[in-house]
Amino acid sequence: MKRLVAILALLWAALNVVIAYLFVTNAFVAKTAIKEGLPAQAALLLGGALIAVFAVALARQSLRILRAPGAAEG
Amino acid sequence: MGVAVRWLLVLAGIAIAAAGGYVSLAQAGSGAQPWDPELSDNFVFMRALPFALGLGAVVGLFRAGGWKPAVRRGDQIRRFSPGTVIGHWIATIGFVIALPTGLWQYLGGILSQDVPAPGGQLLLDLFHPVPLYWFYRLHYIGAAFVLFSVANFGAYWWVNRDRALLVPRGEWRLHLTGFALEVPRMFGARLAAPLKLDLTQRLPQPRPFTYYETAFSFPTWTFALALITITGLLKAMRYIYPIPGPVLYWASTLHVAAMVLLVLKVLDHFRYTLARWPLMVAMTRGWVSEGALRRVLDTIARPGPWHPEPTLPATAPAGVAGGSER
Repeated sequence: MKRLVAILALLWAALNVVIAYLFVTNAFVAKTAIKEGLPAQAALLLGGALIAVFAVALARQSLRILRAPGAAEG
Repeated sequence: MGVAVRWLLVLAGIAIAAAGGYVSLAQAGSGAQPWDPELSDNFVFMRALPFALGLGAVVGLFRAGGWKPAVRRGDQIRRFSPGTVIGHWIATIGFVIALPTGLWQYLGGILSQDVPAPGGQLLLDLFHPVPLYWFYRLHYIGAAFVLFSVANFGAYWWVNRDRALLVPRGEWRLHLTGFALEVPRMFGARLAAPLKLDLTQRLPQPRPFTYYETAFSFPTWTFALALITITGLLKAMRYIYPIPGPVLYWASTLHVAAMVLLVLKVLDHFRYTLARWPLMVAMTRGWVSEGALRRVLDTIARPGPWHPEPTLPATAPAGVAGGSER
């Protein structure tokens, strides 16, 4: 069960990495700059970066469990 | 409140919610409405909102005044009541539906430009066969689950006066210190310096929740959920009440900000509980073995390199790592 949950977590993290990528890349496209301005661009960039960091942290935890299921406490 | 009365309240709540949902859907499907599917869904959602909130409040009140399950079974401690476990997973379903569909609504608008960001066209092509109103429809269904959960837990905690997840009055400094000691030292030191936290002090054993949960996780969940609920309600209200433009603009902006916060919260919550498997088990079974919970709390409550000794003596009486809200 622990492995299954870790795989699901890994998939969720991967999905969030894609979202982070879209946030960051869209911070630099013309439409965002013209329609929403600098604050929206900065928000997209910051939001994307934070999502990427948290997604990587979850992915690392998932991989740790997949490599050694008994390593997680309990 | 008697058992019969409480059951009557819940049954009445379910009946009213079902009737409200039926009437709303019947109106939408009558063919007499002039709106397209997307706008029609907006109206259905807006009309269903009071019923979702009301049903959640009734269920929360029912749980708060009701049956108190056993708190100990051998070495097993009840950490969560069945109602809390079910409520948690209802909220989870809500997030799993509402977050991706909400993100698609937001990103779809940006992606659908003449020259989308790299990879954007791929996603647009992938989801092209799915009508946009389906994303809104699913988002509203997920949001209804989340709103039900907010009302359910709000009413439950309000009535049963369980404050285990709140930092007690005058103890913020203690809990922030515990939190600073739980996170990696680099972050803990950065948090401690501006707040002048003493990381060398001996901390009491956290219970029933860790300092991370009380000082950081629960307050940020509360903030993000309150923000997305208020802004979401304002956005939905515009179909029945003229919301001023600037208010609507800020409600929409903050709704997106709350969505990003919740994306981060889900990731962080998943990471935290995955690393502490007994907590994950407790949220499915309600029960956790005392030894496993003790190990989780001991590890989390490490006093840092300044005090390497464990905070919970091996001779501590049974139940010291007791259950949480029930």
